[in-house]
Amino acid sequence: MTDSSTTKLEVDIAIATEGLTAEPKSFGKLARERFFKHKLAIAGFIGLVLIASIFVLGPWLSPWAFDEPNVLNRRAGPSRDHPFGTDTIGRDLFVRTTMGGRYSLTIGALVAVLATLIGTLLGSAAGFFGKWIDTVVSQLVNLVLVVPAIIVLSVVALRFGAQPVGIAVVLALLLWTRIARVVRGVVMQFREQEFVMAARAAGAGSGRILFRHILPNVFGAVIVEITLLIGLAIVLESTLSFLGVGVKPPTPTLGNLVFQAKGDINSDPIRVLLPGMFIVAIVLCVNFLGDGLRDAIDPRSRADEKE
Amino acid sequence: MFAYSIRRILTTIPLLLVALYLVYIGVSVTTDPLAEFRLCLPRCQEGYDRIVELYNLDQSVFVRPFGWAADAITGDFGTSNVAGQPVSTVLWERGINSAMIAIPAFLLAAVLALLLSVYSARRQYSAGDYVLTGLSFFGIAFPAFVLGLVLQVIFAIKLPEWTGWKLFYTGGKRTDNIGEIIGTVTLPVVTLATLFVAADSRFGRAAMLEVINSDFIRTARAKGLSERRVIWRHALRNALIPLVTLWALNFSALLGGSVITESVFSWPGLGQILIPALQRPDLDMVMGIVIFTAIITVVFNLLADLLYGVLDPRIRYD
Amino acid sequence: MNAPGAALLEVDGLNVGFKTSDGLVRAVTDVSFRIDPGEVLAVVGESGSGKSVTALALMKLHPRSAVISGTAMFDGVDLLALGDADMRAVRGNSIAMVFQDPMTALNPVFTVGFQISEAVLAHNDVTKKAAWARTVELLDLVGVPEPRQRASQYPHEFSGGMRQRAMIAMAISNDPKLLIADEPTTALDVTVQAQVMEVLREVRKETGAAMMLITHDLGLVAGAADRVQVMYASRLFEAGAIDDIFYDSRNPYTRALLGSIPQVDSERTERLLAIPGNPPSLLNPSPGCPFMPRCSERVERCTEELPTLLEIRGREHRSRCHLAQELAPISEVLP
Ligand SMILES: Nc1ncnc2c1ncn2[C@@H]1O[C@H](COP(=O)(O)OP(=O)(O)OP(=O)(O)O)[C@@H](O)[C@H]1O
Ligand SMILES: [Mg+2]
Repeated sequence: MTDSSTTKLEVDIAIATEGLTAEPKSFGKLARERFFKHKLAIAGFIGLVLIASIFVLGPWLSPWAFDEPNVLNRRAGPSRDHPFGTDTIGRDLFVRTTMGGRYSLTIGALVAVLATLIGTLLGSAAGFFGKWIDTVVSQLVNLVLVVPAIIVLSVVALRFGAQPVGIAVVLALLLWTRIARVVRGVVMQFREQEFVMAARAAGAGSGRILFRHILPNVFGAVIVEITLLIGLAIVLESTLSFLGVGVKPPTPTLGNLVFQAKGDINSDPIRVLLPGMFIVAIVLCVNFLGDGLRDAIDPRSRADEKE
Repeated sequence: MFAYSIRRILTTIPLLLVALYLVYIGVSVTTDPLAEFRLCLPRCQEGYDRIVELYNLDQSVFVRPFGWAADAITGDFGTSNVAGQPVSTVLWERGINSAMIAIPAFLLAAVLALLLSVYSARRQYSAGDYVLTGLSFFGIAFPAFVLGLVLQVIFAIKLPEWTGWKLFYTGGKRTDNIGEIIGTVTLPVVTLATLFVAADSRFGRAAMLEVINSDFIRTARAKGLSERRVIWRHALRNALIPLVTLWALNFSALLGGSVITESVFSWPGLGQILIPALQRPDLDMVMGIVIFTAIITVVFNLLADLLYGVLDPRIRYD
Repeated sequence: MNAPGAALLEVDGLNVGFKTSDGLVRAVTDVSFRIDPGEVLAVVGESGSGKSVTALALMKLHPRSAVISGTAMFDGVDLLALGDADMRAVRGNSIAMVFQDPMTALNPVFTVGFQISEAVLAHNDVTKKAAWARTVELLDLVGVPEPRQRASQYPHEFSGGMRQRAMIAMAISNDPKLLIADEPTTALDVTVQAQVMEVLREVRKETGAAMMLITHDLGLVAGAADRVQVMYASRLFEAGAIDDIFYDSRNPYTRALLGSIPQVDSERTERLLAIPGNPPSLLNPSPGCPFMPRCSERVERCTEELPTLLEIRGREHRSRCHLAQELAPISEVLP
């Protein structure tokens, strides 16, 4: 069941959309059933909700502020007062970690939204209108792929990335290509399909056809990409922050917490690993969720169950 | 086939040039090499002027990349101010260090991913397959720097504390002693390889499963061939075709992974100098690295194309 | 060696089921039949009736999810009880198989000659050179022009018909006693179909092999087979000599199939969809006759009781129908 998730996306989409057109009514229901049968996906979903609530509630429940230093209690180990200990200038790490988690999750979600917007807009324009628009968008995609991502990210992040919103914009400008590719493929398939032809024949304009008839169907195909994008964005943000070119302290993110603690890895490894493990947990949950969604959408696995 | 590869490479060259141009402008616009000098200005007018001349700062930012390109064509890539050496020397010395990690990691990942995909595909839904799938999920979820730090804590810090064995070293290349170099390189190599094995083995398993369930494998079995020959000769040759494409893509990703791994383990490779070079900014160094990685990427895509042609006879003719 | 009159293959009580998440799919249920040396047995039936699964089970090429029971005595040994190594010695050697789709049955990355010579090398202790010579000879035998050059070409350089000839060459490379051909012509053009059937006829004449010919096409059976057996919903429905089936069928399902043979001049249809309705699910068989909902002759009994496969008038003609003896002569039913 899980093996279908790694096969070529294009194939998945081709088949997914085939299913969409062949049986538009039963598809949604079947997909939902399949998703809820997928235990890992449920576990991923519950895990995400759990982690998110820790991040939301953590700073609330704790009496400390995330940027409140205490020179008398630096580098303290875990205690009743400071469950995760304190950092080099005595700030409470539990609050900083959960605050950092908030920022990381927010950046992830923001990137997903922005990248989806840009990717869907450019991808559907390329797929729907074809011709030179398609050429321009395709070359733009290739351009983003050909420059080593880390360089672009670092350059732009150095300048604009000190704030969470800046970093999110930078990441979205790099990650929209994944969405655009998927959307372009699906739109191109739908463009020639009967119900679209019928709408065109009935005198519907391009915009109307695109927004009313095609884009709703694209959603199924990109939802998996969007899910995975959240994980990817969180990883990239934390990586940039770890390299020291991302969000600047004192604003905490899971990545720059690791960056700040890195120097003490020999004496205090837990302080380095704890925020890192939160990142791993988030990405793991997001991937499980994405896998479940993909299985739910991919009718191939449905077919082999029926036979 | 060869002509096809050449054509493909020729079409990527304009794209590369545009990319180089944009990177140069991007770095120039986002950073200020004169920042230090502005503060002390009347006193250090001399240094200020030298920098202006060095980077042609009196010209428009859109023209400057051409000055760099004119020098680069003659083989002059400038001098790195971070390293205090000519860029070409830095590229060569650090490039070798980077290769000491990237190449073993690449090979290790390719071989392991191959073996694991064959195993998982042949034993689909067995306990071993589930364990491997679970592990690969974990591997994919680890950002490179977290995995590197975890390995560092376990093997370089805790292991000697617990057992007294100092097998692995961190903190860069300190000697030319082969044993110590291997001890230093192992952890970054394993870090980098693990990330790719996790992703590739899942892809490889799917590719292998698709091949194993195809008609011609049934034909091979119907001939009475041994299972070993069916898998390692008939199935693997076909599953390799998509894997080669993936490996070509990996190589670009490997460069990104190197930056992070080298930072984690303070290994003096190209990746480790990139971030300081961007921060300073050391424009010549940055451009050197970009062009270096671009060439490597193009070369490996060419190799992959050629290998592709060898593996898949259908390509030669269409 | 076989005693005179002994069967080459004797299958008894073959059952094949597939474990799926919805339960056991019974793809072959209690199938028994024999093939004599040198004869051609045709197996016909609608899609999904269990023909391919039967053939693959004999070669033990079924998927791992299959559960198999029964016996299949071939040359004095039970194929279904053979271990992996012994089964490999049989495959491609004394029993060989030709598959339906020649476009996908050959490995695209190896030359056609390599793939045929592999079959030779797997069962004979000869040099690669000798195996190659034999390969060229085999390609010549099945009517591939310029066999020497053709041997070192890849499958994609062959047309569909030529690929199927190559498959046949591969199958006969070790002089099999039994050739299993699973819809060998279904994927081919009409004109090429006739040529491939002709090649099969000739190689059988050459090697004396018996053949199990699986097909949708009753028209093909008429000229090629000695005996016919009809399968429906995983079971045998009728079996007998070719004349018994064509001129004195004792089963409404066979008659429906016969009624659906396309006319020579009409558009050719690949599937036998002329029978209204669909075959039943193989998951939870209902107690009655599985053909009952589609049967024009059905009576009360058919809903409750599965008819047994009975011999008709003591001949080697068996039919599974409550009305086997009462049906009107076939000439009155079919035009
Ligand atoms: N691996 C499998 N798992 C589950 N069911 C299977 C499997 N293989 C075959 N079946 C089922 O077994 C039944 C018989 O299949 P089989 O391939 O023998 O049909 P057939 O008579 O050869 O049909 P066709 O004329 O289409 O080739 C079918 O209903 C099919 O769905
Ligand atoms: Mg079949």
